[in-house]
Amino acid sequence: MELAAWLIFLLPLISAVTIGIGAFRSKPISAGISIAAVVGSFILTFVMVANGSEFPDGQGPSPKVSWLRLDGLSVDIGLKIDGLSKLMLCVVTGVGSLIHIFSLGYMKEDRDFSRYFAFLSLFIFSMLGIVLADNFVMMFIFWELVGVSSYLLIGFWFDKPSAADAAKKAFMTNRVGDFGFLLGILMVWAAFGSVSFDVLEKEKATVLCGLAGFLIFCGAIGKSAQAPLHVWLPDAMEGPTPVSALIHAATMVAAGVYMLCRVFFLIEGTWAMEAIAWIGGITSLMAALMAVQQDDIKRILAYSTLSQLGYMVMVVGLGGETNSDYYKITNVAGTDAAMFHLTTHAFFKAMLFLGAGSVIYACHHEQDIWKMGGLRRRMPRTYWTFLIGTLALCGVPLFSGFFSKEAILTVAYKESMPLFLIAVAVAVLTTFYMTRLFLVAFCGEPRSKHAEHAKESPVVMTLPLLILAVPSVVAGYFNMHAPDPLILFASLIAVVFGALLANSIYRNATDDPLPVRLGFIARAMKARFWFDEIYQWFIDKVQERLAKLADIIDRWIIAGLLVRGAHGSTEFAGRVLRLAQTGNLQTYAFWFAAGLAAVLVFALS
Amino acid sequence: MGDQLKFVQLEMMVVALGLLVLIADLAMAPSRRRLLGYLSAAGLFVVFLLSFRDGYTALVNESTEAFFNSRYKVDGLALFFKRFFLIAGIFVLVFAVDFSERLRSGMAEYYSFIVFALSGMMFAASANDFSMLFVSIELITITFYILVSFQRHRLHSLEAGVKYLILGAVSSAFMIYGIALVFGVAGSLQFDDLHAQQSELIQSKVFLFGMLFLFAGLAFKISAFPFQVWAPDVYQGAPTPTTAFLAVGSKAAGFVLLIRLLVAAVPEVTAEWTSVLLVISALTILYGNLCALPQRNLKRLLAYSGIANAGYLLMGIVAQSEEGTVAILYYLAGYLFTVMAAFMIINLLTKEGEGEDISCLSGLSKRSPFLAFAMTLAAVSLAGIPPLAGFFGKFLLVKSVATEAFGNTCFFVLLAVAVFGVVVSIYYYFGIVRTIFWGRRKADEPTPPPVTIGLPVRIVLGCCVAAMLYLGLLPNKPVKWAETAAKVGVTSK
Repeated sequence: MELAAWLIFLLPLISAVTIGIGAFRSKPISAGISIAAVVGSFILTFVMVANGSEFPDGQGPSPKVSWLRLDGLSVDIGLKIDGLSKLMLCVVTGVGSLIHIFSLGYMKEDRDFSRYFAFLSLFIFSMLGIVLADNFVMMFIFWELVGVSSYLLIGFWFDKPSAADAAKKAFMTNRVGDFGFLLGILMVWAAFGSVSFDVLEKEKATVLCGLAGFLIFCGAIGKSAQAPLHVWLPDAMEGPTPVSALIHAATMVAAGVYMLCRVFFLIEGTWAMEAIAWIGGITSLMAALMAVQQDDIKRILAYSTLSQLGYMVMVVGLGGETNSDYYKITNVAGTDAAMFHLTTHAFFKAMLFLGAGSVIYACHHEQDIWKMGGLRRRMPRTYWTFLIGTLALCGVPLFSGFFSKEAILTVAYKESMPLFLIAVAVAVLTTFYMTRLFLVAFCGEPRSKHAEHAKESPVVMTLPLLILAVPSVVAGYFNMHAPDPLILFASLIAVVFGALLANSIYRNATDDPLPVRLGFIARAMKARFWFDEIYQWFIDKVQERLAKLADIIDRWIIAGLLVRGAHGSTEFAGRVLRLAQTGNLQTYAFWFAAGLAAVLVFALS
Repeated sequence: MGDQLKFVQLEMMVVALGLLVLIADLAMAPSRRRLLGYLSAAGLFVVFLLSFRDGYTALVNESTEAFFNSRYKVDGLALFFKRFFLIAGIFVLVFAVDFSERLRSGMAEYYSFIVFALSGMMFAASANDFSMLFVSIELITITFYILVSFQRHRLHSLEAGVKYLILGAVSSAFMIYGIALVFGVAGSLQFDDLHAQQSELIQSKVFLFGMLFLFAGLAFKISAFPFQVWAPDVYQGAPTPTTAFLAVGSKAAGFVLLIRLLVAAVPEVTAEWTSVLLVISALTILYGNLCALPQRNLKRLLAYSGIANAGYLLMGIVAQSEEGTVAILYYLAGYLFTVMAAFMIINLLTKEGEGEDISCLSGLSKRSPFLAFAMTLAAVSLAGIPPLAGFFGKFLLVKSVATEAFGNTCFFVLLAVAVFGVVVSIYYYFGIVRTIFWGRRKADEPTPPPVTIGLPVRIVLGCCVAAMLYLGLLPNKPVKWAETAAKVGVTSK
């Protein structure tokens, strides 16, 4: 089983390297290697789950290779396999496999087909590194690798300036959060002298844990796109749509939540939890509001992802006692609920993104929902799967999203009333914007030529949709339990209310009436509360000015005075000294004798 | 006496080899004389291998009392340097064969003089007495007078020869004067005797006066400030193999004698002179590096770099510890391969003393990637960048001074100067690297053809590159060798 664990981890790396070294010359071979690797990882994961194997399993340490040994610090590349990481492995390799297959169709025409698959494999490898990491340093390394590979994937069409910018933005925003993460890791190391999860878990919590936990959470703010570092995620939709599905549904953004669950023992019972819960709640509400007024199909989904991630982060922060009804992954209700929602969300959101990709593909890369419409008859398979995804996301009973959302609401209800109300409001908004999206894009009459001529996408693209539809419906049943009537009632009301409201406004609408009705509020939503503008202002007014100042210092004082000055004076000294070298023998003999005299005087006086 | 000659067996072989070359020259057709160079290199290689014979290395433990009344020492230090000189000699001979077309006449004499100079250096490595010291030094210097001016058709070469002759004669005069004074006070020419009575001798001004004159003569050899003026002109004018031998062999001979005299024989005098040596070392580093800065002629540049390196090596003497001696040995070993490689490459790229300008290197990365690589390594090693030999040597030298520095704050000044010198030197060494990879030729100039390199030169360059990397990357063993050599460097009677 150890070998299997290593293989799960390393197969995608082998694939990326093989493609990079030579296989990239052949498109089918590259795609084949890449898909084989991720599917292989998935099958091995499945075997592992079926076997019930865990590392460390009490008989010995988990499989590891020593990577760095210093006095007071030893860092391994080690694999930690428990319920938490197995669940995540299933999500990453399972959804990853389907996205790889979907990409076969979506990227068929692309010039850099092989490069795309190499990057995908690299991304999966990095992601698996985070999932399997058994210590902070390894997690951080792969955390950064995910940052790099997502940079490569978002900026895959780097000749498109908006894609290149989005990739930069994603990378840099993530780096801001990662700085906090790194500080947190250093703090943990300073406080406990170890970075291994197994060792740290046994340590007693200290005062430092709150601060360290919050700093570590900063990493999650970046990766899981929580406010105020959420700005990169919508822009990251510039990447190919399967990438959006992979990064923004199943893997990268989930990494933050996963990491919080992994290191929950550190933040448990500290003030950091409250901060995490509130940041999650605020993000969730804000993103839902923004989603209401977006017109780009992928952006709506992106904001919805933000909102759902906010849910997960919030519930991690709420913590709480575990309920015996649950399938227990961890011993905390909050992290269980978060992981539950993460899993169901990964399935239906990946499906929604892939469905959006299918729509975009069919409409010749048209992404504005107001230029779609009437796709129901033209793309039935996409239509039905998208409908399932929408129902799941809204939390309609019997669909997976219902159960996981219900789990979150249960925890919120128990732990914090204000956040429970926010969560319910978000549920209303979610139903509202998803119904809007669905009605506008799929129902009514076609509002553009592209939509009129849309055709169902090829099987290689619809097949993953159909496959994903299954867990989107049933994933919730694995974790069923008797719901609290009040919460059941609240979530049902939210769904019905949101759907009816959206239906009344958008049924057969040809343009959006909300801006007229809501005025300023709608504009604020559409402008995403001017976050980007505020950051831009900050960069222009503060950072640019500081940069100019630094430039002046560098140019005039460091380069001018210090460097050039030092260079000039030494060079001048050299030229002056060279004057002694006249080439005249008599002079030389004179120097020689004078030198000797000087030495004699100096030594004997 | 007869069986005592075993102490000089290597030297006798080398001298015999030189004579053989001269005689064989008479019998050989002029077209095949190049072969003589290779043969003598091969002969030296055999001698080099013989130096590892148990029968020879066992002499280290045998007392040389009976032999020349202990005027001649075969110890670890001598053995280290004899091998050092042999390697240098082999390289220079291969180099000289490559160069021989430019000599026009007297090819075989050129080889044999190299061999004779080598024998002088090997004698110097064992000198433990002023007469031995003087004779071996003169054997080296006088052959070098000839080697420097060997290209008689070139005015530069003649000029360099005359300068070296006259300044060398001056320095020899100082040295013999110094020896006379020392003998007058001490009543003995043997280092061991000086060692025994150094505490009384140190009281005598005349003795110190004489020792300083002697020091000046040796400082001339190693081109330390203020006795360095000859170096740039002579380095530039001399045939390049001579220059390489001068830079490596002659300098190392100076250092082995300095170690014998200042570290082993009269350490108390050295302690007395700490500040003098310190100032000389610092000024040499500064002078060499600063003058190299505006330099465009590659051979001159290396001459100044050689002066600076003499300064660094003097740091090992200033440290007055075994560690310092180890550092000197290690540094010299690295220096041998680095400088040899640099001069060989310069020689391959220039013709007849023309175009020794640094710009001859531009485009080298395209003309010959191997040469570009080797030259880059040499420059980087000289600049003291890890992981090359030059770095580790400098590190040992600086360390040897730094460990002593807490007793004497002046040492910190020396360290600061050394670091400053390294920084300055990075500028001009990397100028070389920059020219190799990014230098542009003038538009109207035709692109020079790829460089052709003969197999022997290629082998020697390969050895140099391997040695630079080996000494830099795996310093443990070489440091051990240097340590065993440095241990027995101290004598007592």
